[in-house]
Amino acid sequence: MAQYNIEKQLNILDYALSSLWRRRLKSLSVLLVFAAVIFLLASFQMVTQALSDKAGQVLVHTPEITLQKMSAGRQEAFPLAYKEQLAGIFGVRRVVPRIWGYYFDEVRLANYTVIGMDTAEMPEGDRLDSALAGGRMPRLEEAGRVVIGHSIKKGLDLGGRSTFSLFRPDLSLKPFEISGEFSQHTDILTNDLMVMTLADARDLFAIPADQVTDLCVYVANPKEIDTIARKISDALPAVRVLTRPQIQKTYQVVFGWRSGFGSICLLAALAAFVILAWDKASGLSPEERREIAILKVLGWETRDILAVRFWESVIVSGLACILGITAAYIHVVYFSAALFRPVLMGWSVLRPELHLLPSMAAGDILLILAFTVIPYLAATVIPAWRSATVPADSALGG
Amino acid sequence: MLIELSEVSKIYNQGRPNEVRALTDIELRVEQGSMVCLKGPSGSGKSTLLGIIGCIFPPTSGRAAIAEKQMARLPDRFLTLHRRETIGFIFQRFNILPELTVLDNITLPLLPLGVSPMERKLRGHALLERFGITHRARFPAGQISGGELQRVAIARALINNQPILLADEPTAHLDTVLSREFMVIMQQLKEAGKTIVIASHDPLVFEHPAIDRIVTVQDGRINVP
Amino acid sequence: MFLNPWSLALSLCSLVVLALGAVAGKTSVRVLRFWEPGSDSNRQIRLENEIWLSSTLVAYGLGFQIITLILFVLAADQFCQVIVGAMCATGALLANPYGMPALLVKLFGVFFYGFWILLHQLDIRSEQYPLVRIKYLALLLLLPLLILDVTLQTLYIAGIKPDIITSCCAVVFSDSTGGGTNLMTGYSQQGLLIAFIASITGLLAVGLGLLRRWQPWLAGLYTVGWLWFFGLSLVMITTVVSSYVYAMPYHKCPFCILKPEYHYFGFALYGTLIPAAFFGASAAPTGLVRDKGGLTGVVDRYQRLAVRFSLVLLVIFSGLSFYHYLKYLIIGGEG
Repeated sequence: MAQYNIEKQLNILDYALSSLWRRRLKSLSVLLVFAAVIFLLASFQMVTQALSDKAGQVLVHTPEITLQKMSAGRQEAFPLAYKEQLAGIFGVRRVVPRIWGYYFDEVRLANYTVIGMDTAEMPEGDRLDSALAGGRMPRLEEAGRVVIGHSIKKGLDLGGRSTFSLFRPDLSLKPFEISGEFSQHTDILTNDLMVMTLADARDLFAIPADQVTDLCVYVANPKEIDTIARKISDALPAVRVLTRPQIQKTYQVVFGWRSGFGSICLLAALAAFVILAWDKASGLSPEERREIAILKVLGWETRDILAVRFWESVIVSGLACILGITAAYIHVVYFSAALFRPVLMGWSVLRPELHLLPSMAAGDILLILAFTVIPYLAATVIPAWRSATVPADSALGG
Repeated sequence: MLIELSEVSKIYNQGRPNEVRALTDIELRVEQGSMVCLKGPSGSGKSTLLGIIGCIFPPTSGRAAIAEKQMARLPDRFLTLHRRETIGFIFQRFNILPELTVLDNITLPLLPLGVSPMERKLRGHALLERFGITHRARFPAGQISGGELQRVAIARALINNQPILLADEPTAHLDTVLSREFMVIMQQLKEAGKTIVIASHDPLVFEHPAIDRIVTVQDGRINVP
Repeated sequence: MFLNPWSLALSLCSLVVLALGAVAGKTSVRVLRFWEPGSDSNRQIRLENEIWLSSTLVAYGLGFQIITLILFVLAADQFCQVIVGAMCATGALLANPYGMPALLVKLFGVFFYGFWILLHQLDIRSEQYPLVRIKYLALLLLLPLLILDVTLQTLYIAGIKPDIITSCCAVVFSDSTGGGTNLMTGYSQQGLLIAFIASITGLLAVGLGLLRRWQPWLAGLYTVGWLWFFGLSLVMITTVVSSYVYAMPYHKCPFCILKPEYHYFGFALYGTLIPAAFFGASAAPTGLVRDKGGLTGVVDRYQRLAVRFSLVLLVIFSGLSFYHYLKYLIIGGEG
């Protein structure tokens, strides 16, 4: 009995294939448009996935807690002395002062992110050199040395030189020597980044000697981040306390938000496709009507014909998925998602050259199916039924 | 008695302004192994009668027993199930699917029965051989001659060993030679035990000696029992 | 939190399913009002045709419902990454009071569709189509069920408040517990194991007995047994089986076993449990329609088939449930 059913479905599948082939122009047009829609959606999904994965990986090494001072809604430098207040809090491993600012280069019309800190003081500071493509991080005693990101290196257009200058606020020039360059793997965070010693950053931005913009708090036990954050907040009420989990979640939400926004735009494409699918499926030519009537007289039930239509939809969907997802993968990996980067990348003028490696788990494929195949199947149900209910007696009487 | 119709009527759009009485009080009995011709002009209800005998739709009233199964009040699904075991159809213009091969056309009725491809091929070839068109097995049916088409249509009606054959104006678009050939094959099939009902107003058909009885249909009624 | 591909996908699917459900509902009303078996009128013929439409819609509905159920769990898993204190899908679903009910309604929907399809398959095997009224009365329930499903899902998604950095000075951690919430507490592992094994043995015994000789009261017992076993299994999977799969005694979550890092083990588990429970529990109730015109043989055949299926799936499910536990014991872990 089961074998009969399987054999019957295989026969019907066979007929469905032949039926699609006999109307190959129509089938192919639907297939290609479908594949294009899937391509767009899958590319988008892959890009956001790859970006947020990358961000997640890179964020792992940020400090567990960051302290900043906000005044009238904007960030302000605060006294280094605040560090003393944290001495009594149990569980704090290390507190590292940092200056974080943005330098606008008028000559090259680009914004650089400048971080001044003593990298040797970071808990894994000696490993930071591995994030570099070449050279090493500036040490405390080495004045004027800086590690720069990939885009800055390109933008500065140094030729063979390793020195350049930046303007202090009073328009005097501060010379820098490049001691290292960030590896392209970390591009997403370091592309427009300059890392120098605390003293150099202070000098560049003319920040008083006893002030910093951030205090990086490293905590021994990650499970205690929130407790310690609360204690810091109690001890230093004027200070804004950011935890690493919060930062990670914010990135996630932003990526998700942007991805969702992009998805909505693509939904328009999807809607157009669904209408096309409905239209194509609904049009029954006289030949098609005759064919169905003949089949019915020959003993095909209504539900057998519905089965033919079902298999036709499945075959078209399946092929479109394979085509669309493969094309999307190639697009993202080999063409760096050229179509979508403006939507997803930030506001900076310096755009990283990203090499994205999307990971497609079964869940992501299911997501794409839910966006595309389900509406398509739903759109073709009623037309399929209409075609299956062509009456048998219309085959009689010539 | 393989086909038995008693007080059968068929009314379309019953109770509506466009009500049509296609058949009224039909009495018809066809014995197994006999060949009957339904004669009548178009619009006489011939096609409707054929539809009822062919288990395509049930009568509005009356009793219709085809191969000992009552057709009245059966949902469409069961009509179809009975039809595919019982009735082989030969249409006007043959109604072949021109883009399918000859073999595929002949074995079409076998697909929903879950018959394996191997067996379909065997059965199909057996019939192709019987009708001498084995060399056309893989040809698209739209590219063969009229006479070969005729034989394909008949082969398709026999593929499932149905006891009853119904032909609806089979010679309407054929020349004399092919019409004669058609009746020769019908005679052979009758001798092999098939019950055959042919609806036709072609003298080559109803004047053929193999026809046991002529039933005249006029205005939805049968004149001669 | 609608601006998120998973939320959008779920909402889109819900709209689609709702649209199909509305069409099915319209058919139900027409069939219930105008159905005249044996009549030759155009309307009756149209209605017979519409039966195929509604059965196709329900079949598609079942497929879509299963997909959205899986999608919902996967979405919750994504949401947990942005919610305070949520360690995995369990936490995300408990984030507001609509998550779990939405999931349970979806699960119930799968059974509902399955049961309707069963009724339909029985019905079309009799020439009188004796179950038409019952089927379409039941189908009238579909639309309210779908509306409930969509409402709960929408309320759930709307209620997700992602934890992001705000520009105020205070730290946002009002609800964070840090440890992850547990779905179920207060069940002893030993007690559950005993109940589980006892239930499996009991079901096997009753099922084999039914196959030997069918008795209505035994069949009723079988159905009740399966309903009990289904609930017990869900608790069992959450509290016992899952922690052995994760090799972490405090991670008791029935959803993470669906993830790729655990080889999608959850799909094998639920993929055997849910059909097994469906077939097991449906065997006896179909006996209620046994006497309707022409269905006797059909129902008898189905009942035997259902019991057989459910027993086979039960054995597979038991094997899967114990696999990680036994593997752990054999490797040398403490019991």
